[in-house]
Amino acid sequence: MKYILLMSGTKAGVDMYRSCPAEDIEAHLRALRAITQELTESGEFVAMQRLGQPGEAKLVRGEKNGLPVTDGVFPESKEFLLGYWIVDVATPERAYAIAGRLSAAPGPGGGPTNMPLEVRQVDPPGPVATTTP
Amino acid sequence: MKYILMMNTMKAGQGVPAWPQKDLKAHIGFMLGLNQELRQSGELVSAEGLAFPDQAKLVRAGKNGVPITEGVFPESKEFLAGYWIVDVDSPERAYAIAAKASAAPGPGGAPLNMPIEVRPVMSGPPPEMI
Repeated sequence: MKYILLMSGTKAGVDMYRSCPAEDIEAHLRALRAITQELTESGEFVAMQRLGQPGEAKLVRGEKNGLPVTDGVFPESKEFLLGYWIVDVATPERAYAIAGRLSAAPGPGGGPTNMPLEVRQVDPPGPVATTTP
Repeated sequence: MKYILMMNTMKAGQGVPAWPQKDLKAHIGFMLGLNQELRQSGELVSAEGLAFPDQAKLVRAGKNGVPITEGVFPESKEFLAGYWIVDVDSPERAYAIAAKASAAPGPGGAPLNMPIEVRPVMSGPPPEMI
């Protein structure tokens, strides 16, 4: 079963992270890369993606004639998706364990970020599992 | 350039929408058609639908690395329903595809006009971090 592990944060949180010393950011990325590498070796890795800065986000709706209406203003409290992992695991507990590892990656000052990760099944069985190509 | 198109319209605790069967079918048919179109134009990189928010868990690391799971979310939280990653020539093209997805039919066949969040996708870590 496939699970998605979603990492989200506010714009303020992202700005704070980006102002951290380079070695702290490098240690954080190194820990995440090591977990990704481990998942690749165990055959559980499906996909991973890092998203652009929240400042580059646009909200788009279709107008009557199908033309896009874009808007770039978001509430300060909005949690932006920063990136995700998709893993193929035997149980939900295994997906939670991987999310726990990612949450324990070192952050500013070397302590664990303890960042919460949202975990949900991807392309679940049922009538509304429609968007997988 | 790669863009991600996110449907963030779901709320905590939400399950399968209580729409009439034929409206659900029309919605699904529309999404399948859109995917097919993007596949044919060579722009579709990936697309996924997620399980409903009533099955979401929030996970943090405990002290000894044991995961702590929690299933309670604030009412204001937006949940990702699904996403597309597209490879397009311009941001405008990504916005045009998002507008199309926004107009997917809802209950009674009327366009949902749901907002779609569009953002560039990174192909690697930022240069200053390598």
